[in-house]
Parts: sequence; structure tokens; C-alpha cells
Amino acid sequence: MDATVVRKRKSSAWTIWSLRAVVLAFFLLGWQYVPQITGLRHISPIFNPFFVSSPSRVAILLYQLSFAKDGQTYVWPFLANTLKATFIGVAIGSLLGAFFGLIVSNNARTRQVLSPFIVFFNSAPRIAFVPIFVIIAGATLTANILTAVIVIFFLVFYNAYSGGSSVPAVVVNNARILGASSREIMWQIRLPYVFVWTFASMPNAISFGIVAVVTAEILDGTKGMGQLLSQSIASVDATLTFSVVVLLSIVGALLVGIAEWIEKRTLHWWQPIQ
Amino acid sequence: MTINFNREKTSARSLDLNHGQFAESMIEIRGLQFAYPDGTSVIGDISQSVPIGSTLGVVGPSGCGKSTLLAIIAGLLTPTGGSIELPLKGSDHQLAMLFQQDTVLPWLTVRANVALFARFKSHGLRPSIFRNFARNRNVLRDPALRKRVDELLALVDLSNLADRYPYQLSGGQRRRLAFLTAVAPEPRILLLDEPLSSLDEPTRVGVHQDMFRISRLMGMTIILVTHDLAEAISLSDRVVVLSKAPSSISFEHDVPFGSERNMLELRNTPEFLQLYGDVWENLSAQMVKD
Repeated sequence: MDATVVRKRKSSAWTIWSLRAVVLAFFLLGWQYVPQITGLRHISPIFNPFFVSSPSRVAILLYQLSFAKDGQTYVWPFLANTLKATFIGVAIGSLLGAFFGLIVSNNARTRQVLSPFIVFFNSAPRIAFVPIFVIIAGATLTANILTAVIVIFFLVFYNAYSGGSSVPAVVVNNARILGASSREIMWQIRLPYVFVWTFASMPNAISFGIVAVVTAEILDGTKGMGQLLSQSIASVDATLTFSVVVLLSIVGALLVGIAEWIEKRTLHWWQPIQ
Repeated sequence: MTINFNREKTSARSLDLNHGQFAESMIEIRGLQFAYPDGTSVIGDISQSVPIGSTLGVVGPSGCGKSTLLAIIAGLLTPTGGSIELPLKGSDHQLAMLFQQDTVLPWLTVRANVALFARFKSHGLRPSIFRNFARNRNVLRDPALRKRVDELLALVDLSNLADRYPYQLSGGQRRRLAFLTAVAPEPRILLLDEPLSSLDEPTRVGVHQDMFRISRLMGMTIILVTHDLAEAISLSDRVVVLSKAPSSISFEHDVPFGSERNMLELRNTPEFLQLYGDVWENLSAQMVKD
């Protein structure tokens, strides 16, 4: 590649990261100092440090939660439980969603039969199933995993179904002419397209997975980041609330980054051809 | 280069292209009719015999059923009347089709695409093949298959691009690859549905030369549907013009250029220009008809 082009790209990347740092700095400074202007507090609670805490307090609490001394709350077991349920839920939900998306996209009859049921279950408020899962599995990790699975399944299913349906008709016809059966077309031709669309839904699946697990933890009281959030609400502790939110956001962003890195590595053939 | 395409059946006993004599028929179309379920008739009555190893060029106004004709021959549509017979239907892989749109598989390299389609000849499309081809690095462990794929790639100058992905190829290279994947299973019949319409003229003529050479080398029987008259005449042994829908054959003419053709020089010969004029005259007459 031309050296000038490389230099320009490096320069462009540096500019973008610098601008991001500026945005972050403005946000943190605004969060830290605007609520300290006492004259603004009568306008809205968001200008009151009691309700919005501050980045410095959040940073201190995150440090304490990370390196807890005797008697203090140690955040990692909570985070580990939440992540464990999220990982397992995302994995099972994605696999099931991709598999059924593949099956339904490959068979018009199956699609016609199942279509109203899929719409019905997708429209249902799935978090409302948490009490049922608690009855079935108790207030355990399993109930949280089931919540994540049911939330992620439909998300991935629709993407996988769209992917399987997006295979150009000529590609399918070509395979048919060469003697491929419907099952062979499903595994040989549709599956890579389903992979692509499933990967595309991964960032959302991870975010929704974390939200589903945390919500389930809040509702069923199992150990996890949701339980910490419940504690913070009970004790009206805005700093703890924001600490949990910041930690979950960082973890979520990391997971999404990993998913996107895997996508780029495995599906490099897809993006340019589109 | 040594290529054995196992085509003794299309040797001189059945085909003498230099003299325009075809002994046996590969495709027999008799009184073919097709109408959509709503009653719209597309093909009124088409009958044609396509001899072994020859190329039939089909041109006609838009909507006259050219592509429908190919879809019926390919088995994708069922005719509402008449019949299509393939008298020599046998054990060898029978039929392939090259579409206007891309049918190469974007997740496989050039080499893996050709290899996958080449293996249709003996294996069909089985999951075991997918496992072999899911990772391009595992492709072509079979030395005989690798040799054959290398030979095929060399035919269209894609050897040095064998490890690239389809998105890394130019339009002409992709069409060459698509053509190669269509002929890799060694079909006895090849259906071409406006295969080069997306290419610019110079690239198209270059691909014409490759397609003509390889189809003659492999002895395939070809039906070519195109809206490009020069393409139809350049590649065919007979050109037919279809009327408007419901279509029938309004004009047919043998193309007397033999099996050694230089696509660039051919277009400047008086015979080519004369035939082009005749076909165009008939086609334009069809287009202005009510």
C-alpha cells in the first residue's frame, strides 16, 4: 500500500481517538461539576449529586468493590455469576435461534405453519416469564439462563431466518439443477448465510443477554449484578447504581468487541462482496 | 496440458462441426407450451432439436419466454403442454446452468469453488463435502481432484488467482469463474441464461473466446439465451428468434462458422455482418408487432 495512504489512515485514526477522548472528558467533567452548581438543583433532580453521584465517587467505589477488604462487598463473584448466566444464555439462545432460523427459512411449509406462533411468542413480554422460570428452576442461575435464552432466541431467530431467506434464488436453483436435495441446500448453501446474519445479531444478543440476566437477578434475588442493583435501590445509593451500570457497560463493550473481532476473522469474505 | 474430459460420445461419430452435420439429438423440444397459473401464456408453441455438441442461440423480445424455456429444460418449471426429451439421458452428469447473476459461493476461494462443483460429477452435494470445504485449507487433499482443478483454472487464466475469494476478482474474472463452476461437473448439457450481460464489450468478447473454446473442448450441448445478437451468432451453431409471447420460433438460421473461431476477427467478416443483419431484421420485426 502507498506510504501516503498509510500515513493518512493512521492520522485519521489518531484524530478519531482524540475526538473520542475529548467527548469522554466533556461528559465526565459535566457529570462531576455541573451537579455541584447549587443553583441548578431546583430545576431537576439530575443536577443533584445525591441522585446522580459523580464519576470520582463511582471510580472510588469501583476500586473498593474490586479490591475489597474484610467485610466489604467484593464485586467479582457477583459479576462472575451474571457473566456466567449471560454466556450460557447467549450461547444456547443463539444456537437454538440460528438452528430454527435455518430450518424455517429452508422450508416454506414449516414457515407457513409456525409463522403465527412465532409472532405471538415474540410479541409476549418475555421478562414476564421469569416467575415461571423461578417456579420451575427455583431462584437459581438456571432461571436467569432460561430468561436470557428466551430473550436471545427470538432476536437471533429472526436474523438467522432473514439470513437463510436472503440466499439468492439463482444460487439455490443452481444447486437444485446439479442435483442437491432440500436438506443438502440447507446445510451447504443456507448455513453460511445464516452464520453471517447470526454474527450480525451478536452485539445486540450480548447486550440483551446482560439486560435479561440482570433483570432476572433483580426479580428473583439470585446473586449477581442485579442483586447489587436491588441493594442500591433499597439503600438509595446512586453511586452503587452507577458503579454497577459502568462495570456492566465496560464488560458488555468488551464482549461486543470480541464478537466483532471474531466476525471479522471468520466472515472476511462477506462484507466486501455486499 | 493433458485434459481428458471423457467425451468420446461427442466425438466425430456424433458431431462434425466443420461441415455442420449433427448425427444425434441431445435435446428434443416438441410443441412446448407454458402458461402461468393465472392463464398468462408465455410460450405458445416451440419445437426444436438440438444436436449433440452443438450450440443453439435463442434471441427474442423481452418477455417472450427465453429464460422460461431454460427453466423448463432445467426442470425448475413444468411445461403446460408439449415435451422436452433428453434422448441420451444417462449416468454422466447431465445438466448445468450458468445464470446472469452470480452463483459462485462467496465463502470459498476460487480453487475451492471449482473443486466443489467438480466433485458434483461423482459425489453430489453431500454434507461430507461441506466438511471438507468449510475450511479452504483442507480443500483438495485428493491429488487427482487438485490436478483436475488446476487444469480447469488454467483454461481461463485463473491459476494465479486460485487462492483469492470471489470478492477479490474483477467482473470478467468472476464470470470466468462462474463459467468454470458450471462446466466443472462436465455436464452434457449447459444452459446459459444471458451469462455475460453484466460485462463491458471488450471483456465480454474475451470471455466469449474462452467459453467457445472450452465448450468445444468438452463437447457440451449448449442452449444460449441472450439479448446480444453478436454473442448469439459468435457462439452458436444455430440461431433462433422467438416471437412475442406467447412465443414461437419466427426465424432460424444455421451459423456456418465451424468450430475454430476468432471472436474478434469473426465480427468483421461479411458473413457475420450479413447474418447479424438478417437476425436483427427479423428480431426488430417481432418487436414492432402488436
